[in-house]
Amino acid sequence: MTTALLLLLLAVGAYLVAVIEDWTTSGRFRLAAPAFAALALLGRESIVPRKSDRVFFETAPVLLLISALLAATVIPLTANLIITDLATGALFINAALVYVLVALLMAGWGPNGAYAMIGGWRFLGQLIAYAMLIVMPITAVVMRAESLLTTQIVVSQAGLWNIVYQPLGFILFFVASMALAFLPPFDLTTAKGELAGGVEAEYSGARLAVFRLGRLVLIITLAAAIVVFYLGGWQGPWLPPWAWSAIKILAVTTMMLLAGRYMPRIRETDLLGWCWMLGIPLALLNILLVGLLVLVLP
Amino acid sequence: MSALQQYGLLLGLTLGTVGFVLSLYMLARSLAKTRKEPGKDVPAASGQLSRDPVWVRYHARYYGYALLFLAFDMEMAFMYPWAVVYKQEGLVALLDMGVFLAILFLGLLYGWSQGALRRQ
Repeated sequence: MTTALLLLLLAVGAYLVAVIEDWTTSGRFRLAAPAFAALALLGRESIVPRKSDRVFFETAPVLLLISALLAATVIPLTANLIITDLATGALFINAALVYVLVALLMAGWGPNGAYAMIGGWRFLGQLIAYAMLIVMPITAVVMRAESLLTTQIVVSQAGLWNIVYQPLGFILFFVASMALAFLPPFDLTTAKGELAGGVEAEYSGARLAVFRLGRLVLIITLAAAIVVFYLGGWQGPWLPPWAWSAIKILAVTTMMLLAGRYMPRIRETDLLGWCWMLGIPLALLNILLVGLLVLVLP
Repeated sequence: MSALQQYGLLLGLTLGTVGFVLSLYMLARSLAKTRKEPGKDVPAASGQLSRDPVWVRYHARYYGYALLFLAFDMEMAFMYPWAVVYKQEGLVALLDMGVFLAILFLGLLYGWSQGALRRQ
């Protein structure tokens, strides 16, 4: 029952992400646009490129969707509203989201097209840049919560949200999440206008619809993860818990989608350089600071 | 829910997603058929087949980072159990992992000084 409700909420969330993304790119707020776009995609031809690796080509969109969906299962909207409260929740999010890389590499290799291939290899470089900035801030969050349970992580922020307790971790995790969801300015793997869509270039029709759906679910999942890890999850005064979750998740989604609109696309070399020369030292500093705070504060 | 039931549910969701995607494909097929026409299935490259084969070996120019990444990724596997028991163990845990992380960080600095952190 909870599972069905949460899957429905996830679908509504993904739809709202599409509406918000449309608003941030075109400036118009059209509630029905994603539905029409999806119908149009389903009605179009879905072409398989010649001499393609059929297994990789077919698996990639499905795997992207599955990976984002599995990560969403361990994210609580209220204390009880969660699909599986896994004992290894915070680690499971990482484990599930690594398959985003696998899916995008498959989408790059599968169609046997040059642009897609470059997009796929680029994302591998992007993973090497952002991956540490996903796992290290989560470690610091776990140190405070003393548990990998995501519900426990939210409860641990009752007095003070993690965004105040470890602001450095929040910034790093936020940027790394944008890179993981290949949102601009980190959209190296799709790179509209430069790679003709990159890994998306050879997909059309229903397969493209599934690919885009996977991406939308990925964005809403990451926004929800940021809320759970740093913004106190369902906690807040006056309103009921589920309302707080919804408000925070939508606010974070809007921030993620808006933030990149005013920046040029970053080069892969620069991304790697920034992440390893600045990001990882800062993430280690964050672990040290949180370690000291956990010991000093009662 | 027991752990086994939870993982069973996750497996069910995975299979359910595959089923959902297949039903979407069937819906799409009932809406419109893909017509087979010459030249339609050429990968995006200005409408021509690319001159060179695509499935070849590429120079991964980030391999310096990739090697460091392996070391850091292994280290993270130790960090999670450590983080859970950190508060109970107290200062000892901080010092233990501090020494480990300091050595790793020195490794990063050494790699940096040797030019591992640049496009090769």
